[in-house]
Amino acid sequence: MAVDDVNLEIPAGKLVCLLGPSGCGKTTLLRLIAGLEQATTGQIIVGGKDQAGLPAHRRDLGMVFQSLALFPHLNVAKNIAYPLQIRGVDHAACASRVDELLQLVRMPDAGDRRIHQLSGGQRQRVAIARALAINPALFLLDEPLSALDAKLREHMQVELRLLQKTLGITTIVVTHDQREAMTMADLVVVMDRGRVLQAAPPIEIYRSPANSFVAGFIGTSNLVRCRRTGVDEIEVLGRNYPAPPNSTRSTAGGRDAVLSVRPEDVALHTDPSDGELQGVVEFIRDLGSSVEFHVSAGGITLLSVAPPRGRPNVSIGQDVGITLHIARAALTDP
Amino acid sequence: MTRRRSDNSWHLVLLPAATLTVFFVIPFTIMLAVSFFQRIEGGFFEPAFVLSNYVRFLTPFFGKILATSVGLSATAATIVVAVAFPFAYVLSRMPRRRQTTILVFILSVLSLSEVIVGFAWSTLLSRTAGIGNLFHWVGIAESPRAYTPGLASLLLGLAYLAFPYAVLVIYPAVSRLDPELPEAARTSGASPLRAFTSVTLPIMRRTIAGALILVFVFTLGAYLLPQVLGRPRHWTLPVHITDQAIFQSNIPFAAAMAMFLLLVSLALVGLVLVVDSRRRGDQS
Amino acid sequence: MSNNAKIRKQLTRRSMLRASAATLGTAALSAPSIGRAASSDPLRVGTYGGYFQDSFDTHIYPDFTSDTGIAIESIGEPTGEAWLVQLETAARAGKAPADVSMMAQVPRLKGQNSRLWAPLDETAIPNTKNLPDHFVHRYDDGSVSGIGAVSWYITLVTNTDHYPDAPVSWKALWDPANADSIGLLALVTNSFLLEITAATWFDGTSILDTEEGILQVIDKLSEVRPNVRLWYRDEGQFQQALETGEIPMGQYYHDVTGLAASDGKPVRSTFPVEGGVLDSGSWSVSKASDRVDEAQVFIDYMCHPAIQSKLSRFVGTAPTIRRELTDLTDEEFGAVASHIPPILPRYDIYNARGDWLNQKWSELIVG
Repeated sequence: MAVDDVNLEIPAGKLVCLLGPSGCGKTTLLRLIAGLEQATTGQIIVGGKDQAGLPAHRRDLGMVFQSLALFPHLNVAKNIAYPLQIRGVDHAACASRVDELLQLVRMPDAGDRRIHQLSGGQRQRVAIARALAINPALFLLDEPLSALDAKLREHMQVELRLLQKTLGITTIVVTHDQREAMTMADLVVVMDRGRVLQAAPPIEIYRSPANSFVAGFIGTSNLVRCRRTGVDEIEVLGRNYPAPPNSTRSTAGGRDAVLSVRPEDVALHTDPSDGELQGVVEFIRDLGSSVEFHVSAGGITLLSVAPPRGRPNVSIGQDVGITLHIARAALTDP
Repeated sequence: MTRRRSDNSWHLVLLPAATLTVFFVIPFTIMLAVSFFQRIEGGFFEPAFVLSNYVRFLTPFFGKILATSVGLSATAATIVVAVAFPFAYVLSRMPRRRQTTILVFILSVLSLSEVIVGFAWSTLLSRTAGIGNLFHWVGIAESPRAYTPGLASLLLGLAYLAFPYAVLVIYPAVSRLDPELPEAARTSGASPLRAFTSVTLPIMRRTIAGALILVFVFTLGAYLLPQVLGRPRHWTLPVHITDQAIFQSNIPFAAAMAMFLLLVSLALVGLVLVVDSRRRGDQS
Repeated sequence: MSNNAKIRKQLTRRSMLRASAATLGTAALSAPSIGRAASSDPLRVGTYGGYFQDSFDTHIYPDFTSDTGIAIESIGEPTGEAWLVQLETAARAGKAPADVSMMAQVPRLKGQNSRLWAPLDETAIPNTKNLPDHFVHRYDDGSVSGIGAVSWYITLVTNTDHYPDAPVSWKALWDPANADSIGLLALVTNSFLLEITAATWFDGTSILDTEEGILQVIDKLSEVRPNVRLWYRDEGQFQQALETGEIPMGQYYHDVTGLAASDGKPVRSTFPVEGGVLDSGSWSVSKASDRVDEAQVFIDYMCHPAIQSKLSRFVGTAPTIRRELTDLTDEEFGAVASHIPPILPRYDIYNARGDWLNQKWSELIVG
């Protein structure tokens, strides 16, 4: 997958997530940074140094691969020591650094074990330790947690983030999991078809998605077609609303736009006349920690989420009133 | 239930066991027995238990021939695997369709008999019709010369014959090799060559040993190519076994020589396996 | 039959005639087939399967049956010693897989040593008188054990492009000018190079009577090694190399070389002054056969001058009877033989010292 016209600045010491669907070019971008692939045009500058023409093995980085790529013919300690030995670090220094790293990933005494004897999470840690062995300027991870089951993955996300903060190492993580990105990143870079759609802190991406793709990809969102009828006014489902403040990228007046309303910003009322809009409850999903309502209104289905305690007393088939918290919504390009 | 399953597996063992007996154990036993039979000069042989067939082999003359055979096969195996491994590695990283085309081409070489391969190379390397003329024509050589018979042409022929087998052994293994492994080595600071020698090769060690053994054993049995492409000093033990069995009607001596060949190849294969497992032990 | 086809068949015949057999290993280990022997059966005649059997089936047997009234069952022999083993084993059981067999000389001698062959009545084979003595094989007591059937010559052959003038002597093989350019047969038992060396440098093959003499001959022969490019077992390989000039000199079969020359190939066969090597096959009758009388009629028929001429014309073999008895023209005779006295192979030494000779020979070639 090609990467096209990407202009990105990665702040030192921060963790950046490249996020996007498969084939969006995020892995290609990471491999370009690692030197595993060569760019036809453009520059990659790390710490002020142009990396052009620098082969992968001369770049000051550590990388964790999707398959982890642990060397099956070496034991844990030798895997971790590999980058040091390649660089000619002497035996004693090697051994003490390996011990340090094993402590860091909380696997002391595991140095003698063979790779096939390790659990998924342990392999993950060994791969991380190996990538960090030389204290690289840049720490790259390509879908590092995708092989783990959901529970372990969430745990490792936290652990990885804490580790990164402790070390203060500039880190780039490729992921297709928006939750993962939201959990770990200082900066999320949403990509699609080889282009960067938005690069911003997670909450900003969530609150002010640059377009409907980003809005749909990050979290769940009601994407409602609307028209901008004036400088500060939009028309949604036949009603006029004040334009939301998060509408810097919105189109000029008179043009079609998309309003992104998060489900928690859609409130339901048992009395239909209480809301600005009216609809009918089609489906209710009670997840315990929250309750989802599918409400049909104006020819579309809106999703509303409420905490269990604030749950509106409605049932399927019932007419309800709807309030959109427009101030927290975002107006985006279609 | 358990009982029934064990009954079934017993039946399942019968067929391979019978096949092994009929096609390997019985012929081998006959050969072993005949190697101790008494040769009757001017006639054939009669059942007996004599060591004279083995004693005759234990001379510097046959020792040299055995060394020639083993040396030739070991050299051929090294050359073939040294070429086939990078070849299979590059092949496995090509687009799928091209891989298939090349594999089909390589497999088609397997359909050529030793005879055809031998005569084709002897023609290609000849003075009158061979590549010497091409070299002469482009000005590399002053006059066309023959490159056969000789050690180089014999090794070339053996390598050509064994190459597809080596590729067939190595290719599936390198195809399964995770491409991220050498990449991980490179991002760890290893040059492509270093990544190859410190990661790819060690991981493929068993495959390489397997390919070496296969080519070694395969070329150890060659008896036609040494005659066609080699000089008499390159004639291998199988050439002499054939001479004894077919041309001298000395089956007991031929059987004794075949036993030696078998034992030597088994010993060498065993040695490779022992060295391999010991090295494995070191690493764990 | 085109010339090419004939060459191919000739080659098949040569391969078959080597005192050897690719099938020998299995034949020796498996139970030999036991022939039936009922007097009402036709006379069973064994010849090498392939070219010989086909030729005899076509040109010889039908006429024989119509001339004598004796029906013939044609048997294809496995080559060389495998057939000898079958005959020996069957004879021990009182059976004969064939009544008359064409045998190469070494297995024929081996059979003679074990008295496998039925003694033949010379008076019943009057045409015996047509044959030179070396084609009438006898037991020590003088009784006849076999009669020459067909013969052929191994001569000095050259590529005419490389050698505008024909060589005159086998000494050409030793000429340093011919370094790395000759092809010789690889086996002691089919190259007859010991006889050639003895005849060329030691005034005849009697030096081969003793081991010391043989070693002397081998010593002399080892001097040709630098000249030998190819020690061949496969005749096709040498013939092709000779025709292309890749290996412009060597020893080869006279009649096949002649056929190649008449086909336009730049090759020639020369009978050196020392003579060509005359190799042959002979008729012998198993002692287990109860058809000795008919067998003698058959052998007598085969020694008839007209039949010998027919063999030369149609099968390409040299007559085993004296030339003047045949009606062959000079050209026909020249295509298969020569007036120069031949070098006669010393089959006896291969029989008596086979393993020792073979060992010395291997050491000579491998060096």
